[in-house]
Amino acid sequence: MTYTTAIFYFFASILVFAGLRVITARNPVHAALYLVLAFFTAAGLWMLLEAEFLAITLVLVYVGAVMVLFLFVVMMLDINLEKLREGFWDYLPLAGFVAVLLVIEMALILGSRHFGLEVMGAPAPHAADYSNTKELGRVLYTEYVYAFELAAVILLVAIVAAIALTLRRRKDSKYIDPAEQVKVKRNDRLRIVKMQATQKPGAGEDGA
Amino acid sequence: MRHALMQFAPAFPEIFVLIMISLILVVDAAVDDGKRFLAYFLSLVTLAGASFLTLRDFSTLPVLTLGGLFIDDPLSDVLKLFLYLSVAIVLVYSRDYLRQRGLYKGEFFVLALFALLGMMVMVSASHFLTLYLGLELLSLSLYAMVALQRDSSVATEAAMKYFVLGALASGMLLYGMSMVYGVTGSLGLGDIAIALQDGTDLRIPLVFGIVFIVAGLAFKLGAVPFHMWIPDVYHGAPTAMTLFIGSAPKIAAFAFVIRILGQGLESQVSDWRGMLVILAVLSMALGNIAAIAQSNLKRMLAYSAISHMGFMLLGILAGSQNGYGSAMFYVLVYALMSLGGFGMILLLSRAGFEADRLEDFKGLNRRSPWLAFMMLLLMFSMAGVPPTVGFYAKLSVLQAVVEIGYVWLAVAAVLFSLIGAFYYLRIVKLMYFDAPHDAAPIKASPDARVVMSVNGLAILALGIMPQPLMAVCIHAIRASF
Amino acid sequence: MRVDMQTLYLVVPLAPLFGAIVAGLFGRLVGRTGAHVVTIAGVAVSFIASVLVFQDVLAGHTFNGTIYTWMTLGDLRFEVGFLIDALTAMMMLVVTFVSLMVHVYTIGYMHDDPGYQRFFSYISLFTFSMLMLVMSNNFLQLFFGWEAVGLVSYLLIGFWYTKETAIYANLKAFLVNRVGDFGFILGIGLVLAHFGSLDYATVFAKAPSLASETITLWPDTPWMLMSVIGILLFIGAMGKSAQFPLHVWLPDSMEGPTPISALIHAATMVTAGIFMVARMSPLYELSDTALSFIMVIGAITALFMGFLGMVQNDIKRVVAYSTLSQLGYMTVALGASAYSVAVFHLMTHAFFKALLFLAAGSVIIAMHHNQDIRYMGGLKKYMPITWVTSLIGSLALIGTPFLSGFYSKESIIEAAKMSHLPGAGFAYFAVLAGVFVTAFYSFRMYFLVFHGKERFHQGHGHGNEPDAHHGHDGPPHETPWVVTGPLLALALPSLAIGYMTIEPMLFGDFFGRAIYVADRHPVMHELNQEFHGAMEMGLHALATLPFWLAVAGVGLSAFFYLKRPDIPAAIAQRFSFLHRMLLNKYWFDELYSWVFAKGARALGGSLWRRGDQNVIDGFFVNGSAHLVERFSRLVRAFQSGYIYHYAFAMLIGVFALVTWFARLN
Repeated sequence: MTYTTAIFYFFASILVFAGLRVITARNPVHAALYLVLAFFTAAGLWMLLEAEFLAITLVLVYVGAVMVLFLFVVMMLDINLEKLREGFWDYLPLAGFVAVLLVIEMALILGSRHFGLEVMGAPAPHAADYSNTKELGRVLYTEYVYAFELAAVILLVAIVAAIALTLRRRKDSKYIDPAEQVKVKRNDRLRIVKMQATQKPGAGEDGA
Repeated sequence: MRHALMQFAPAFPEIFVLIMISLILVVDAAVDDGKRFLAYFLSLVTLAGASFLTLRDFSTLPVLTLGGLFIDDPLSDVLKLFLYLSVAIVLVYSRDYLRQRGLYKGEFFVLALFALLGMMVMVSASHFLTLYLGLELLSLSLYAMVALQRDSSVATEAAMKYFVLGALASGMLLYGMSMVYGVTGSLGLGDIAIALQDGTDLRIPLVFGIVFIVAGLAFKLGAVPFHMWIPDVYHGAPTAMTLFIGSAPKIAAFAFVIRILGQGLESQVSDWRGMLVILAVLSMALGNIAAIAQSNLKRMLAYSAISHMGFMLLGILAGSQNGYGSAMFYVLVYALMSLGGFGMILLLSRAGFEADRLEDFKGLNRRSPWLAFMMLLLMFSMAGVPPTVGFYAKLSVLQAVVEIGYVWLAVAAVLFSLIGAFYYLRIVKLMYFDAPHDAAPIKASPDARVVMSVNGLAILALGIMPQPLMAVCIHAIRASF
Repeated sequence: MRVDMQTLYLVVPLAPLFGAIVAGLFGRLVGRTGAHVVTIAGVAVSFIASVLVFQDVLAGHTFNGTIYTWMTLGDLRFEVGFLIDALTAMMMLVVTFVSLMVHVYTIGYMHDDPGYQRFFSYISLFTFSMLMLVMSNNFLQLFFGWEAVGLVSYLLIGFWYTKETAIYANLKAFLVNRVGDFGFILGIGLVLAHFGSLDYATVFAKAPSLASETITLWPDTPWMLMSVIGILLFIGAMGKSAQFPLHVWLPDSMEGPTPISALIHAATMVTAGIFMVARMSPLYELSDTALSFIMVIGAITALFMGFLGMVQNDIKRVVAYSTLSQLGYMTVALGASAYSVAVFHLMTHAFFKALLFLAAGSVIIAMHHNQDIRYMGGLKKYMPITWVTSLIGSLALIGTPFLSGFYSKESIIEAAKMSHLPGAGFAYFAVLAGVFVTAFYSFRMYFLVFHGKERFHQGHGHGNEPDAHHGHDGPPHETPWVVTGPLLALALPSLAIGYMTIEPMLFGDFFGRAIYVADRHPVMHELNQEFHGAMEMGLHALATLPFWLAVAGVGLSAFFYLKRPDIPAAIAQRFSFLHRMLLNKYWFDELYSWVFAKGARALGGSLWRRGDQNVIDGFFVNGSAHLVERFSRLVRAFQSGYIYHYAFAMLIGVFALVTWFARLN
């Protein structure tokens, strides 16, 4: 077992463990933290694959920004994970059984006999001066510009959808709009109603 | 390669649609509620413009551009034209419905056009990346459209189911694609086909990947056992959205399947044919039988969609150009029938009333003989009764299956469609022989009525003269393969 | 020129179709007047076009070609094509002319019916279907026309769908015709299997080479292919042309409105079977067995259905049974290889039978829709036009010399006499005896309706109908011109068409190659030798047996129903069994309902006395329905609405596919 293989197994086992804990942890904050751990170890694996830029981006963007936001939301909202996962343990035996079967099957197929280094051969390592970042930057705006733009369009859809689904004027919250305040006219605030000094006789009898 | 990289001309329709979407977004944000028709009008203009661009640059030979991610061939052009057509029909049918339910907003049109853009990308994709991105663009727009009616808990639930299951299916698809990438070392469909031309040593992982890809595709098509979202989403979504989901995306899904299986994995036909046989038989069986027990028309049509996709798969699994051509014919015809079927629900609905139960169609003949006749044509076509086009569509896919020697499959298909004929004809019986359940006048707008008439008569006309459309389909397939 | 003719051919069926569509779909829009104007115009255009086509055919132009290829499946082409020759042209003329008359007549007959537009739409649609059937040049189109004609006739029989008996008659017609169609489609299937084509010309050209082909239906009994095909196709004709034993639907179909009875059950639809056999003459000529079969069936129908007409009291049913009997005559002629005679009788019969039906309808209008001839009588002075035309029709029907029916019927009798096939002797006897029977029942009806005492003020069959009390007060009066006009128009050909056309149609070369007769069957040839002109034939008839049989029939009925009405009653009492048998139509209805409803179960019970009955009834009949329902419920149970169930199903699907394909292969 080489040095890199050892590192791989180290990260991989932590990754699998962290992934399992994300869905089994009872405390949502713990679950989110396990997700952070999973991201970290995944970044480690990407490093091994010489994808340095992606590895760092994963840590910076997902761990640094997305997950922190996520943690805030989890802490601010009172999410009862227990209720969401009602029935989880009831279904676990059957689901676990199928999952184990699937894992065994995948291991058999994707094991070294069919998909290992002997069959595939490892790609040659890049030279020391090879810059993964520079290469990404280059193809992203040339060869893959179409895909890149499409990804941007998908983000636009996400924005539109998010606004369409969540923006609403709540009737129960009070807020002040200075522009409206400035524009106000006298007639908006005060209505003068002319009334006779005395009531006509018999006017009040309708209700009787 | 570098020089052909930035050849944008073949993608003009996509670019045009994107620009128009941005325009509609801005315009709609600037106008008040009384002028929503601007968005409606601009959407129709977009479709007309895109049709014009597509027709103007109708390709005779496949052109690969934008770094090999985009292909412009007769197949994509024909399918795009039908996409524009069906989206336009959806817009016309659903205008009144949306207005009555407070959904007549710019967002609907923007999301519909985004979905259209996603479908166009899928139809013109020659690369796993664009296929996937187009699919996501479509799916995301559809999730949002289903959820657009925020105060309806049923619609929200449907959107949630659609989203979660769709994400799962996307995951499977990606996983399968990564397997194929691992085996072939490339993501471009053309390169994959070349890499697999002479077989591969890595057959087992390849088949493994294909299984996951087929599962993802089957989800999009709604083939059994990946169909379960269909009844719930069709039923739960506002009918206008159901109309949208049930029509154009089927055409895109066909393109998706044809691109991956027919073009990329062409040489592995013996592997995926068996999977499609299973999916097709299960879909036809379950779709047709379960539809009988439904009392809600949207749900019934959902199961009918499942069985129709099973039928369409018959053409694809034939793996021949004739088969692909007849599957294409089938899916185009199905889109037309589906538009008519769901459109009829929209036309009969009014503010505060959804005409989506079977009993709402009782005695339709006395309320509106013309609409009843159109519905009769649609139902006959779905059941495959000559001389409607549904008959010819079924016949041609069966022919393709028989050609490859799967006679038992053709017999089973005929058997299931006979079972299926029962529930379509039940609607005809309700319309013509039962007393009306609901006496309110039908308030469909004149333009929707005209489009419905054209839609229904097209079913009949295509049934009497199927050859031109069939010739277009066969030509598109021949010229693109 | 030829291109123009093709357009003309297309106009013939499409004009009525257009009328049907307008009247059917836009009925409310165009109103009652609009509906009849457009449909009558359509049929009139079609009639004029038919006349032009007929002249063109007389000038020697025939046409056989594809108008439109509907679809191609492998080597098999499904086409819409026309075969225009003398046979077709004549049928087109008859169909469009009678249809036109019926359309005009309907204006008067259906005047107060709420389904006015619908009715016009149906009869135009019917005309279209019949024309497509007649003009077809291939079996597939023939079959489609066949079915379309059937479909429209069910719609029309059940036109008054609130009437219980009409719905029953409708169902009966449907079921009986299914039996016939089953034979017909089997026949077409056999043709396709052995000839590899559905095109008439191809099949006929290939037929002689397959003449001695045999097929084995069950082990050790080879059958002549041609006989099997011929008999199967004829079973279809038996359904449509109401031949024994598939005749039961036709009398009941009188539940439909009278114009329909005239159009469908006299002049057009029922003749489809006769036409088909004549069209297939190149096939039938190859099989003596099939011809013999046809002749015997025809003879049975001709005689025994005539007997039934003698005891009926419903005016339309009497005419209906006479139709059955006359169809039997035509069938006998077909069996004797005298196809042209059969078609000749078809034509003359179409005119005088339509006339009789429409006249019956006219009487029914005057009688305020009471159809019982026992409550009529003496109408002669109230309805002169109806009376005269009815008399002409009846005289033509019984074969009075020089009238149209005489020439065709006389020729059939002669043909039966000269045929040498097995069964010809019986057929000759049947058609000869039929003459007497026909004369008797026709004039029984005529005398009861138009002569004798006026009985319509006596008790009537349906006095509890709302219109009964005001309707029966005044004396009956002649019907409006839209009713009598068609009567007069039909009376003319009933009188003269036989005299005018017998020579070219039977003995000239009018039919040319449209009808093929093998040299082995020289009936037509022998007939020709005895024929010395129409006038001669009429004069000669005065000294022959059929004429005197007819006179005897008329005389007997005059004696019975004008002089001594007590005698028929006495006879009925004396021979009560026979009388009951005829009234109950030989108990065929009872037999069929017993055989089909109980017979199947009885058969199952006797063959598989124990447990297996459950298998048949429990599994195949109820079981399949139950199974579907149970499965349906199972699917609903799975469709639980829970996301994780759905996701789980997807995973199971992937797992199964992986296991199946990646591991096992």
